[in-house]
Amino acid sequence: MTASAQTLRTAHVIRSDAEAIAVAHKLAARFAVEASVRDRERRLPVAELDEFSASGLWGITVPKEYGGAGVSYVTVAEVIKIISAADSSLGQIPQNHLGVLDILLQTATEEQKRYYFGKVLQGYRFGNAFSESKSKNAGAFETRIRFDTDTAQIDGEKFYCTGALFAHIVPAVAVNEQNQAFIAFIERDNPGLTVIDSWDGFGQRTTASGGVTLNAVKVPLSAVIPAHKAFDEPTADGPISQIIQAAVDTGIAVGALEETKRYARESRPWIDSGQDHGWQDPFSIAAIGELEWRVHGTEAILKKAGQAIDAALLNANEDTVAHASVVVAQAKVLSAEIALLASSKLFELAGTRSVLGKHNLDRHWRNARTHTLHDPARWKYHLIGNYLLNGVKPARHAWN
Amino acid sequence: MNALTQPIVAGQPLAKSQHDLHNARSLLDATLRFVRQQSKTTDDPFVISRFGDVHIRIEVAAALLERAQEFLNRHEDDSEISVAIAESHLASAQALSTVSDAEFELTGQRTVLQGSLHDPLRWKLHLIGNFRLNGIRPVKFE
Repeated sequence: MTASAQTLRTAHVIRSDAEAIAVAHKLAARFAVEASVRDRERRLPVAELDEFSASGLWGITVPKEYGGAGVSYVTVAEVIKIISAADSSLGQIPQNHLGVLDILLQTATEEQKRYYFGKVLQGYRFGNAFSESKSKNAGAFETRIRFDTDTAQIDGEKFYCTGALFAHIVPAVAVNEQNQAFIAFIERDNPGLTVIDSWDGFGQRTTASGGVTLNAVKVPLSAVIPAHKAFDEPTADGPISQIIQAAVDTGIAVGALEETKRYARESRPWIDSGQDHGWQDPFSIAAIGELEWRVHGTEAILKKAGQAIDAALLNANEDTVAHASVVVAQAKVLSAEIALLASSKLFELAGTRSVLGKHNLDRHWRNARTHTLHDPARWKYHLIGNYLLNGVKPARHAWN
Repeated sequence: MNALTQPIVAGQPLAKSQHDLHNARSLLDATLRFVRQQSKTTDDPFVISRFGDVHIRIEVAAALLERAQEFLNRHEDDSEISVAIAESHLASAQALSTVSDAEFELTGQRTVLQGSLHDPLRWKLHLIGNFRLNGIRPVKFE
């Protein structure tokens, strides 16, 4: 047990969907105040994260029978969107934590569920050590797990480990000799686990998405779950992982659009417009109209994606999971599109003065460009089209 | 007044969206049928993703139509209803023109669509923007 993990954590327990949304709005208003400063100084949001997990929002998907609120995925997406509109780094950090909670639900033993869901309701945060930058593709793992009679040993190297630096427990993906993926829940101060704060991307700067090395890390067998089962069988885990991505990007778009309107109100009139104020410019007004309907269209599809996931959770089979994958892919394409568009139009409508360094408005575009790279939208068009044209169900993995 | 300036159904604010969305779906079905008859094209990754794009635009139009309908049913504020209707019109029109372009690209034909000069879309963008940017309330929907 780590020093921090030994500390008794006492998070608030959220009881309903409505409460989750209300708490998210309250937190977002506070997170927005220093979001720009944190980005500029790359100041990691340590205090904000403590407040975030103490609010109970990191436990809202724990099912009712384990003491949580078991909120809908419409609500999960809404919460992540609201937080991301204020600070998209903070919105992204719980991404893998929430994904892991579903893998626990799908593949863990009853005892493991009680233990880890209990921890989450107390306010413990899971990070992640999933992706590897040197493997052949995003779904290939070189990190190994070897099982002994009562322990397992994990060795490997991870990258893009969002949340690991601030986590109390770091779930790590590793494969056995049959190339089946397992997740080991590793205490943050477990010998052999090193988290490196090496993320220096130009966007999502305060996610601390650096690296993790696993050097002869030993955990009890009770800390390992057979994660591959979440994809061997049809489950909603892929769509769950994806809807959080889409919600972050939708949040970035919402935040950028609000900022655009704020600055467009103060812009100078163009000389040929014959107007006294920038906000009277008919072309600027229409451009705002264009962003507005596209944001609302994205939000509407995000909601449909949440509903499709809820349906797949209620009745998981090949068809419901495929449908959820397809609708989430629509949300993913639309959110990437509008996040990039809104964060770029911001400057067009606010004028040259808006690029001054003191405003730091480029953070919206930097965040949009960085986070929308998580998995390429070009393959989502293909996924959707292949289902429509050829009836091919999407491949099941964490990116669909 | 002539055929081009005649509104589709007077007194039903979402009739235009329903009309465009219906046409978009019919065109998509016809295009799918055509492409499925050409054995090679169904494997073409660019043809496949073109259908993905078209499908997304149609789903957005359907979702915004449903949203505008909900606003009407809930008796939201008149300005909010007007804006939601305008957004639905824009989304349906975009879906229709996207699928019409895809039809032309993938079948070499373009089905003639009946147009309307009544209530031009460019002023819907202005209506939405003017309310959201400047707080200027739109004229009440009919």
